[in-house]
Amino acid sequence: MNYRAILSASALALTLTVVLSAQTPAPKSTSKNWTVPRTPDGKPDLQGFWTNSTLTPLERPPAFPNSLTMTDAEAAVWEKKTSDEWAKYDGKAANPIADRWGSGGTGGYNAAFTDQGTELARVDGLKRTSLVIDPPDGHIPPITAEAKARNGAMMRSFNKADSVKDRALSERCLVSFGNSAGPPMMPTLYNNDYQIVQTPDTVLILVEMVHDARIVRMNATHAPPSVRQWFGDSIGHWEGDTLVVDTTNFNGLAGFRGASRNLHVVERFQRTGANTILYRATLDDPDTYTKPWTLEFPFVASKGPIYEYACHEGNYAMIDILGGARKAEQEKEKQKEKK
Amino acid sequence: MKIKQIAIMTAAGAVLAAVPAWAHHAFAAEFDAQKPVHLEGVVTQVELINPHSWIHVDVKKGDGAVISWMVEAGSPNVLLRRGFTKNTIALGTPVVVEGFQSKDGSLRANGRDITLPNGQKLFLGSQGTGAPYDEKK
Repeated sequence: MNYRAILSASALALTLTVVLSAQTPAPKSTSKNWTVPRTPDGKPDLQGFWTNSTLTPLERPPAFPNSLTMTDAEAAVWEKKTSDEWAKYDGKAANPIADRWGSGGTGGYNAAFTDQGTELARVDGLKRTSLVIDPPDGHIPPITAEAKARNGAMMRSFNKADSVKDRALSERCLVSFGNSAGPPMMPTLYNNDYQIVQTPDTVLILVEMVHDARIVRMNATHAPPSVRQWFGDSIGHWEGDTLVVDTTNFNGLAGFRGASRNLHVVERFQRTGANTILYRATLDDPDTYTKPWTLEFPFVASKGPIYEYACHEGNYAMIDILGGARKAEQEKEKQKEKK
Repeated sequence: MKIKQIAIMTAAGAVLAAVPAWAHHAFAAEFDAQKPVHLEGVVTQVELINPHSWIHVDVKKGDGAVISWMVEAGSPNVLLRRGFTKNTIALGTPVVVEGFQSKDGSLRANGRDITLPNGQKLFLGSQGTGAPYDEKK
Protein backbone atom coordinates (compact mmCIF):
# COMPACT_ATOMS: atom_id res chain seq x y z
CA MET A 1 0.00 0.00 0.00
CA ASN A 2 1.63 3.22 1.10
CA TYR A 3 5.02 1.58 1.29
CA ARG A 4 4.97 1.15 -2.45
CA ALA A 5 4.75 4.90 -2.96
CA ILE A 6 7.51 5.43 -0.43
CA LEU A 7 9.71 2.90 -2.13
CA SER A 8 9.27 4.37 -5.57
CA ALA A 9 9.90 7.87 -4.24
CA SER A 10 13.01 6.68 -2.40
CA ALA A 11 14.31 4.74 -5.36
CA LEU A 12 13.77 7.70 -7.62
CA ALA A 13 15.60 10.01 -5.26
CA LEU A 14 18.49 7.60 -4.92
CA THR A 15 19.01 6.39 -8.43
CA LEU A 16 18.97 9.70 -10.23
CA THR A 17 22.38 11.23 -10.52
CA VAL A 18 23.69 14.74 -10.47
CA VAL A 19 24.05 16.03 -13.99
CA LEU A 20 24.03 19.78 -13.85
CA SER A 21 26.38 22.36 -12.52
CA ALA A 22 24.18 25.44 -12.99
CA GLN A 23 24.21 28.05 -10.26
CA THR A 24 21.06 29.00 -8.42
CA PRO A 25 19.57 31.77 -10.53
CA ALA A 26 19.03 35.16 -8.94
CA PRO A 27 15.38 36.23 -8.93
CA LYS A 28 14.49 39.35 -10.84
CA SER A 29 11.43 41.50 -11.15
CA THR A 30 8.95 40.27 -13.74
CA SER A 31 7.05 43.47 -14.52
CA LYS A 32 8.24 46.75 -16.01
CA ASN A 33 5.47 49.11 -14.98
CA TRP A 34 5.04 47.82 -11.51
CA THR A 35 6.59 49.17 -8.31
CA VAL A 36 6.80 47.39 -4.99
CA PRO A 37 3.83 48.35 -2.76
CA ARG A 38 5.00 49.56 0.65
CA THR A 39 3.71 49.72 4.20
CA PRO A 40 3.67 53.13 5.99
CA ASP A 41 7.15 52.41 7.38
CA GLY A 42 8.50 51.96 3.84
CA LYS A 43 8.93 48.19 3.82
CA PRO A 44 7.64 46.06 0.95
CA ASP A 45 4.00 45.17 1.63
CA LEU A 46 3.53 41.41 1.67
CA GLN A 47 0.06 41.57 3.15
CA GLY A 48 -2.94 39.82 1.70
CA PHE A 49 -4.08 36.36 0.69
CA TRP A 50 -1.75 34.09 -1.22
CA THR A 51 -1.67 30.56 -2.59
CA ASN A 52 1.31 28.34 -3.36
CA SER A 53 -0.75 25.77 -5.32
CA THR A 54 1.33 24.42 -8.16
CA LEU A 55 1.62 21.43 -10.45
CA THR A 56 5.43 21.62 -10.27
CA PRO A 57 6.68 18.61 -8.31
CA LEU A 58 9.06 18.92 -5.38
CA GLU A 59 11.78 16.96 -7.18
CA ARG A 60 12.59 16.98 -10.87
CA PRO A 61 10.72 14.40 -12.96
CA PRO A 62 12.84 12.04 -15.09
CA ALA A 63 11.38 13.64 -18.24
CA PHE A 64 13.41 16.80 -17.57
CA PRO A 65 16.69 15.55 -16.13
CA ASN A 66 18.84 18.48 -17.16
CA SER A 67 16.73 21.57 -16.86
CA LEU A 68 15.19 23.68 -14.11
CA THR A 69 12.85 25.25 -16.65
CA MET A 70 10.71 24.12 -19.54
CA THR A 71 9.29 26.00 -22.49
CA ASP A 72 5.68 27.17 -22.45
CA ALA A 73 4.90 24.55 -25.10
CA GLU A 74 6.42 21.79 -22.96
CA ALA A 75 4.59 23.17 -19.95
CA ALA A 76 1.25 23.18 -21.77
CA VAL A 77 1.71 19.49 -22.61
CA TRP A 78 2.65 18.68 -19.01
CA GLU A 79 -0.28 20.66 -17.58
CA LYS A 80 -2.76 19.02 -19.96
CA LYS A 81 -1.39 15.58 -19.16
CA THR A 82 -1.90 16.25 -15.44
CA SER A 83 -5.41 17.57 -15.88
CA ASP A 84 -6.29 14.61 -18.16
CA GLU A 85 -5.00 12.22 -15.50
CA TRP A 86 -7.17 13.84 -12.85
CA ALA A 87 -10.18 13.56 -15.16
CA LYS A 88 -9.36 9.96 -16.08
CA TYR A 89 -9.14 8.70 -12.51
CA ASP A 90 -11.68 10.99 -10.86
CA GLY A 91 -14.20 8.88 -8.95
CA LYS A 92 -12.42 5.59 -9.68
CA ALA A 93 -11.47 3.14 -6.93
CA ALA A 94 -8.25 2.30 -8.77
CA ASN A 95 -6.84 5.81 -8.64
CA PRO A 96 -3.06 6.11 -8.65
CA ILE A 97 -3.26 9.83 -7.82
CA ALA A 98 -5.35 9.20 -4.70
CA ASP A 99 -3.13 6.25 -3.80
CA ARG A 100 -0.13 8.55 -3.75
CA TRP A 101 -1.94 10.39 -0.97
CA GLY A 102 -2.64 7.26 1.07
CA SER A 103 -6.10 6.21 -0.15
CA GLY A 104 -5.15 2.52 -0.07
CA GLY A 105 -7.36 1.63 -3.03
CA THR A 106 -10.44 3.49 -1.80
CA GLY A 107 -10.10 6.25 -4.37
CA GLY A 108 -10.30 9.37 -2.21
CA TYR A 109 -13.02 11.82 -3.18
CA ASN A 110 -14.05 13.88 -6.20
CA ALA A 111 -11.24 15.86 -7.81
CA ALA A 112 -13.19 19.08 -7.20
CA PHE A 113 -12.17 18.84 -3.56
CA THR A 114 -8.51 19.19 -4.37
CA ASP A 115 -6.53 22.29 -5.13
CA GLN A 116 -3.17 21.74 -6.75
CA GLY A 117 -3.71 24.61 -9.13
CA THR A 118 -3.76 24.29 -12.87
CA GLU A 119 -0.27 25.41 -13.81
CA LEU A 120 3.38 24.74 -13.21
CA ALA A 121 5.21 27.31 -11.10
CA ARG A 122 6.45 30.28 -13.13
CA VAL A 123 9.56 32.20 -12.04
CA ASP A 124 11.25 34.92 -14.10
CA GLY A 125 8.81 34.17 -16.89
CA LEU A 126 9.73 30.50 -17.20
CA LYS A 127 7.87 27.41 -16.04
CA ARG A 128 9.72 25.31 -13.47
CA THR A 129 10.31 21.55 -13.57
CA SER A 130 10.96 21.18 -9.82
CA LEU A 131 10.65 23.14 -6.62
CA VAL A 132 14.17 22.07 -5.64
CA ILE A 133 16.62 24.46 -7.33
CA ASP A 134 19.77 23.48 -5.47
CA PRO A 135 21.31 20.91 -5.82
CA PRO A 136 21.10 21.78 -9.52
CA ASP A 137 19.83 18.28 -10.39
CA GLY A 138 16.55 19.20 -8.69
CA HIS A 139 16.73 16.48 -6.05
CA ILE A 140 16.91 16.57 -2.27
CA PRO A 141 20.48 15.56 -1.27
CA PRO A 142 21.04 12.05 0.14
CA ILE A 143 20.16 11.74 3.82
CA THR A 144 22.53 10.57 6.55
CA ALA A 145 22.62 7.05 7.98
CA GLU A 146 21.32 8.43 11.27
CA ALA A 147 18.31 9.99 9.53
CA LYS A 148 17.64 6.75 7.63
CA ALA A 149 17.48 4.82 10.89
CA ARG A 150 15.34 7.47 12.56
CA ASN A 151 12.88 7.74 9.68
CA GLY A 152 12.75 3.96 9.20
CA ALA A 153 11.64 3.50 12.82
CA MET A 154 9.07 6.25 12.38
CA MET A 155 7.64 4.72 9.21
CA ARG A 156 7.37 1.28 10.82
CA SER A 157 5.21 2.74 13.59
CA PHE A 158 2.82 4.45 11.18
CA ASN A 159 0.17 1.73 11.13
CA LYS A 160 -0.41 1.60 14.89
CA ALA A 161 -3.84 2.71 16.08
CA ASP A 162 -3.94 1.74 19.77
CA SER A 163 -4.61 5.29 20.82
CA VAL A 164 -5.10 8.75 19.36
CA LYS A 165 -1.46 9.41 20.18
CA ASP A 166 -0.34 6.72 17.74
CA ARG A 167 -1.79 8.60 14.81
CA ALA A 168 -0.11 11.17 12.62
CA LEU A 169 -0.01 14.76 13.91
CA SER A 170 -2.19 15.94 11.03
CA GLU A 171 -4.87 13.31 11.72
CA ARG A 172 -4.89 14.60 15.27
CA CYS A 173 -5.49 18.17 14.06
CA LEU A 174 -2.22 19.32 15.65
CA VAL A 175 -0.28 20.57 12.64
CA SER A 176 -0.84 20.86 8.93
CA PHE A 177 -0.01 17.82 6.84
CA GLY A 178 2.46 18.09 4.04
CA ASN A 179 4.30 20.92 5.79
CA SER A 180 1.84 23.63 4.74
CA ALA A 181 3.13 25.74 7.64
CA GLY A 182 6.65 24.33 7.41
CA PRO A 183 8.93 26.04 7.37
CA PRO A 184 9.48 25.55 4.50
CA MET A 185 5.83 26.23 3.58
CA MET A 186 5.02 23.56 1.04
CA PRO A 187 2.17 23.30 -1.45
CA THR A 188 0.13 20.16 -0.94
CA LEU A 189 -3.08 18.47 -2.14
CA TYR A 190 -5.44 21.25 -1.02
CA ASN A 191 -5.86 24.22 1.34
CA ASN A 192 -2.77 25.93 -0.02
CA ASP A 193 -3.85 29.34 1.17
CA TYR A 194 -2.08 31.83 3.38
CA GLN A 195 -2.71 35.27 4.83
CA ILE A 196 0.16 37.60 5.69
CA VAL A 197 -0.24 40.48 8.14
CA GLN A 198 2.64 42.89 8.82
CA THR A 199 3.63 45.39 11.48
CA PRO A 200 7.11 46.91 11.91
CA ASP A 201 7.77 44.41 14.74
CA THR A 202 6.02 41.28 13.54
CA VAL A 203 5.07 39.37 10.43
CA LEU A 204 2.21 36.94 10.94
CA ILE A 205 1.60 34.15 8.46
CA LEU A 206 -1.77 32.44 8.88
CA VAL A 207 -1.86 29.05 7.22
CA GLU A 208 -5.23 27.73 6.11
CA MET A 209 -4.37 24.08 6.65
CA VAL A 210 -5.19 23.21 10.28
CA HIS A 211 -5.23 26.93 11.09
CA ASP A 212 -1.51 27.06 11.81
CA ALA A 213 -0.06 30.49 12.52
CA ARG A 214 3.57 31.48 12.21
CA ILE A 215 4.74 34.54 14.11
CA VAL A 216 7.96 36.08 12.82
CA ARG A 217 9.61 38.47 15.30
CA MET A 218 11.44 41.19 13.38
CA ASN A 219 15.01 42.19 14.27
CA ALA A 220 14.92 39.86 17.28
CA THR A 221 17.29 37.19 18.53
CA HIS A 222 16.43 33.49 18.77
CA ALA A 223 14.89 32.04 21.92
CA PRO A 224 17.28 29.95 24.06
CA PRO A 225 17.95 26.43 22.71
CA SER A 226 15.74 24.93 25.43
CA VAL A 227 12.66 26.57 23.88
CA ARG A 228 11.31 24.25 21.18
CA GLN A 229 8.25 24.85 18.99
CA TRP A 230 6.25 22.98 16.35
CA PHE A 231 7.22 25.42 13.58
CA GLY A 232 10.44 26.50 15.25
CA ASP A 233 11.35 29.99 16.38
CA SER A 234 11.24 32.44 13.48
CA ILE A 235 13.03 35.79 13.47
CA GLY A 236 13.14 38.18 10.53
CA HIS A 237 14.97 41.11 9.03
CA TRP A 238 14.96 43.02 5.74
CA GLU A 239 17.82 42.66 3.28
CA GLY A 240 16.97 45.46 0.88
CA ASP A 241 13.45 44.66 -0.26
CA THR A 242 13.63 41.00 0.68
CA LEU A 243 12.20 39.68 3.95
CA VAL A 244 14.61 37.10 5.36
CA VAL A 245 13.19 34.73 7.99
CA ASP A 246 15.55 32.56 10.00
CA THR A 247 14.03 29.58 11.84
CA THR A 248 15.64 27.28 14.42
CA ASN A 249 14.46 25.68 17.71
CA PHE A 250 12.18 23.07 16.13
CA ASN A 251 10.73 20.43 18.44
CA GLY A 252 11.69 17.80 15.87
CA LEU A 253 8.19 16.34 15.66
CA ALA A 254 6.87 18.24 12.66
CA GLY A 255 10.06 19.03 10.77
CA PHE A 256 10.15 18.83 7.02
CA ARG A 257 9.62 15.18 6.07
CA GLY A 258 11.70 13.63 8.79
CA ALA A 259 14.18 16.48 9.35
CA SER A 260 15.63 16.65 12.86
CA ARG A 261 15.10 19.21 15.61
CA ASN A 262 18.38 20.80 14.51
CA LEU A 263 16.87 21.86 11.19
CA HIS A 264 17.77 25.45 10.26
CA VAL A 265 15.60 27.10 7.60
CA VAL A 266 16.30 30.45 5.95
CA GLU A 267 13.36 31.77 3.93
CA ARG A 268 13.37 34.74 1.58
CA PHE A 269 10.17 36.57 0.56
CA GLN A 270 10.43 39.00 -2.33
CA ARG A 271 7.60 40.88 -4.08
CA THR A 272 8.26 40.34 -7.78
CA GLY A 273 4.96 41.51 -9.22
CA ALA A 274 1.47 42.79 -8.46
CA ASN A 275 0.29 39.23 -7.85
CA THR A 276 3.47 37.48 -6.82
CA ILE A 277 5.80 36.86 -3.92
CA LEU A 278 8.86 34.84 -4.87
CA TYR A 279 9.60 32.43 -2.03
CA ARG A 280 12.91 30.72 -1.48
CA ALA A 281 13.88 28.44 1.41
CA THR A 282 17.24 26.86 2.24
CA LEU A 283 17.27 23.87 4.57
CA ASP A 284 20.37 23.01 6.56
CA ASP A 285 20.27 19.99 8.87
CA PRO A 286 23.54 18.04 9.15
CA ASP A 287 21.69 15.41 11.23
CA THR A 288 19.48 14.66 8.24
CA TYR A 289 20.90 15.96 4.95
CA THR A 290 24.42 15.48 3.67
CA LYS A 291 24.39 19.08 2.46
CA PRO A 292 22.09 22.12 2.52
CA TRP A 293 19.49 22.43 -0.23
CA THR A 294 17.15 25.07 -1.59
CA LEU A 295 13.54 25.30 -2.78
CA GLU A 296 12.00 28.12 -4.79
CA PHE A 297 8.46 28.83 -5.99
CA PRO A 298 5.98 31.72 -6.16
CA PHE A 299 3.09 32.59 -3.89
CA VAL A 300 0.31 33.98 -6.08
CA ALA A 301 -2.36 36.45 -4.93
CA SER A 302 -5.55 34.66 -4.00
CA LYS A 303 -9.09 35.37 -2.96
CA GLY A 304 -9.83 35.62 0.75
CA PRO A 305 -10.87 35.23 3.39
CA ILE A 306 -9.49 32.04 4.85
CA TYR A 307 -12.22 29.75 6.14
CA GLU A 308 -11.96 28.80 9.78
CA TYR A 309 -10.33 25.42 10.29
CA ALA A 310 -12.04 24.09 13.41
CA CYS A 311 -10.50 20.68 12.95
CA HIS A 312 -11.33 18.70 16.09
CA GLU A 313 -15.05 19.37 15.87
CA GLY A 314 -15.46 17.54 12.60
CA ASN A 315 -12.84 14.86 12.99
CA TYR A 316 -15.11 11.82 12.47
CA ALA A 317 -12.20 10.21 10.70
CA MET A 318 -10.33 9.60 13.96
CA ILE A 319 -13.36 7.66 15.29
CA ASP A 320 -13.40 5.59 12.11
CA ILE A 321 -9.67 4.89 12.22
CA LEU A 322 -9.56 3.78 15.87
CA GLY A 323 -12.93 1.98 15.56
CA GLY A 324 -11.68 0.19 12.47
CA ALA A 325 -8.57 -1.00 14.30
CA ARG A 326 -10.68 -2.36 17.20
CA LYS A 327 -12.96 -4.17 14.76
CA ALA A 328 -9.93 -5.73 13.07
CA GLU A 329 -8.67 -6.92 16.46
CA GLN A 330 -12.04 -8.50 17.28
CA GLU A 331 -12.09 -10.30 13.97
CA LYS A 332 -8.57 -11.59 14.55
CA GLU A 333 -9.62 -12.94 17.96
CA LYS A 334 -12.61 -14.68 16.39
CA GLN A 335 -10.34 -16.32 13.83
CA LYS A 336 -8.07 -17.56 16.64
CA GLU A 337 -11.01 -19.04 18.53
CA LYS A 338 -12.15 -20.90 15.42
CA LYS A 339 -8.74 -22.51 15.14
CA MET B 1 2.03 -10.66 -1.83
CA LYS B 2 3.36 -11.07 1.67
CA ILE B 3 6.94 -11.47 0.53
CA LYS B 4 6.55 -8.45 -1.68
CA GLN B 5 5.26 -6.40 1.22
CA ILE B 6 8.12 -7.43 3.47
CA ALA B 7 10.62 -6.65 0.75
CA ILE B 8 9.07 -3.25 0.24
CA MET B 9 9.04 -2.51 3.96
CA THR B 10 12.68 -3.53 4.34
CA ALA B 11 13.65 -1.43 1.39
CA ALA B 12 11.69 1.51 2.73
CA GLY B 13 13.42 1.24 6.09
CA ALA B 14 16.82 0.94 4.50
CA VAL B 15 16.81 3.47 1.73
CA LEU B 16 14.21 6.00 2.78
CA ALA B 17 15.21 9.37 1.40
CA ALA B 18 12.60 11.39 3.24
CA VAL B 19 9.31 10.82 4.99
CA PRO B 20 6.69 11.55 2.35
CA ALA B 21 3.79 13.95 2.68
CA TRP B 22 0.61 12.19 3.79
CA ALA B 23 -3.00 12.91 3.13
CA HIS B 24 -4.69 14.53 6.09
CA HIS B 25 -6.60 11.40 6.86
CA ALA B 26 -5.18 8.14 5.73
CA PHE B 27 -8.21 6.79 3.86
CA ALA B 28 -6.46 3.43 3.93
CA ALA B 29 -6.84 3.38 7.72
CA GLU B 30 -10.38 4.71 7.73
CA PHE B 31 -12.18 2.88 4.92
CA ASP B 32 -12.21 -0.74 3.83
CA ALA B 33 -11.21 -1.28 0.21
CA GLN B 34 -13.00 -4.65 0.43
CA LYS B 35 -16.36 -3.05 1.26
CA PRO B 36 -17.55 -1.08 -1.77
CA VAL B 37 -20.89 0.68 -1.40
CA HIS B 38 -23.28 2.09 -3.97
CA LEU B 39 -25.79 4.48 -2.42
CA GLU B 40 -28.78 6.11 -4.07
CA GLY B 41 -30.62 8.51 -1.82
CA VAL B 42 -31.43 12.10 -0.95
CA VAL B 43 -29.27 14.66 0.83
CA THR B 44 -30.57 15.39 4.35
CA GLN B 45 -27.69 17.45 5.74
CA VAL B 46 -24.49 19.05 4.49
CA GLU B 47 -21.74 19.58 7.03
CA LEU B 48 -19.22 21.96 5.50
CA ILE B 49 -16.70 21.40 8.26
CA ASN B 50 -13.00 20.80 8.56
CA PRO B 51 -10.97 18.75 8.22
CA HIS B 52 -13.44 17.18 5.76
CA SER B 53 -17.01 17.83 4.68
CA TRP B 54 -19.71 15.24 5.37
CA ILE B 55 -22.82 14.85 3.26
CA HIS B 56 -25.68 12.96 4.94
CA VAL B 57 -27.73 10.80 2.62
CA ASP B 58 -30.97 8.89 3.38
CA VAL B 59 -31.20 5.68 1.41
CA LYS B 60 -34.58 3.97 1.09
CA LYS B 61 -34.43 0.19 1.03
CA GLY B 62 -36.79 -2.06 -0.93
CA ASP B 63 -38.97 -2.66 2.14
CA GLY B 64 -39.38 1.07 2.71
CA ALA B 65 -36.95 1.29 5.61
CA VAL B 66 -34.66 4.34 5.49
CA ILE B 67 -30.98 4.06 6.27
CA SER B 68 -28.98 7.20 7.01
CA TRP B 69 -25.43 7.26 5.66
CA MET B 70 -22.67 9.84 6.10
CA VAL B 71 -20.41 10.42 3.13
CA GLU B 72 -16.97 11.95 3.60
CA ALA B 73 -15.91 14.55 1.07
CA GLY B 74 -13.03 17.00 0.86
CA SER B 75 -12.14 20.08 2.83
CA PRO B 76 -14.78 22.84 2.58
CA ASN B 77 -12.19 25.55 1.98
CA VAL B 78 -11.66 24.73 -1.67
CA LEU B 79 -15.40 24.61 -2.35
CA LEU B 80 -16.14 27.89 -0.58
CA ARG B 81 -13.52 29.71 -2.61
CA ARG B 82 -15.15 28.30 -5.72
CA GLY B 83 -18.43 29.80 -4.64
CA PHE B 84 -20.13 26.78 -3.13
CA THR B 85 -21.84 27.20 0.21
CA LYS B 86 -23.81 24.85 2.40
CA ASN B 87 -26.90 26.06 0.53
CA THR B 88 -25.55 25.02 -2.85
CA ILE B 89 -26.63 21.45 -2.39
CA ALA B 90 -30.30 21.78 -1.51
CA LEU B 91 -31.66 19.36 1.03
CA GLY B 92 -33.63 16.71 -0.76
CA THR B 93 -31.27 16.63 -3.74
CA PRO B 94 -30.98 13.06 -5.01
CA VAL B 95 -27.41 11.78 -5.29
CA VAL B 96 -25.61 8.61 -6.26
CA VAL B 97 -22.51 7.81 -4.24
CA GLU B 98 -19.79 5.33 -5.02
CA GLY B 99 -17.41 4.70 -2.15
CA PHE B 100 -16.14 2.31 0.47
CA GLN B 101 -17.58 1.71 3.92
CA SER B 102 -15.67 2.55 7.09
CA LYS B 103 -13.61 -0.26 8.59
CA ASP B 104 -15.55 -0.26 11.84
CA GLY B 105 -18.76 -1.10 9.98
CA SER B 106 -20.55 2.17 10.84
CA LEU B 107 -22.74 3.78 8.18
CA ARG B 108 -20.02 6.06 6.93
CA ALA B 109 -18.32 5.94 3.54
CA ASN B 110 -15.90 7.95 1.47
CA GLY B 111 -17.55 9.81 -1.38
CA ARG B 112 -15.03 9.06 -4.05
CA ASP B 113 -17.66 9.66 -6.70
CA ILE B 114 -20.73 11.77 -5.98
CA THR B 115 -23.08 12.34 -8.92
CA LEU B 116 -26.57 13.56 -9.59
CA PRO B 117 -28.99 11.01 -11.06
CA ASN B 118 -28.65 12.61 -14.52
CA GLY B 119 -24.98 11.70 -14.48
CA GLN B 120 -23.67 15.17 -13.71
CA LYS B 121 -20.85 15.07 -11.21
CA LEU B 122 -21.50 16.98 -8.06
CA PHE B 123 -19.41 20.15 -7.88
CA LEU B 124 -17.61 19.65 -11.15
CA GLY B 125 -17.79 22.29 -13.80
CA SER B 126 -16.35 25.01 -11.61
CA GLN B 127 -12.61 24.99 -11.38
CA GLY B 128 -10.24 27.40 -9.77
CA THR B 129 -9.29 28.78 -6.43
CA GLY B 130 -9.57 32.51 -6.96
CA ALA B 131 -5.90 32.87 -7.87
CA PRO B 132 -5.23 35.11 -10.89
CA TYR B 133 -3.99 32.23 -12.99
CA ASP B 134 -7.38 30.61 -12.52
CA GLU B 135 -9.47 33.74 -12.99
CA LYS B 136 -8.05 34.56 -16.39
CA LYS B 137 -9.29 31.21 -17.72
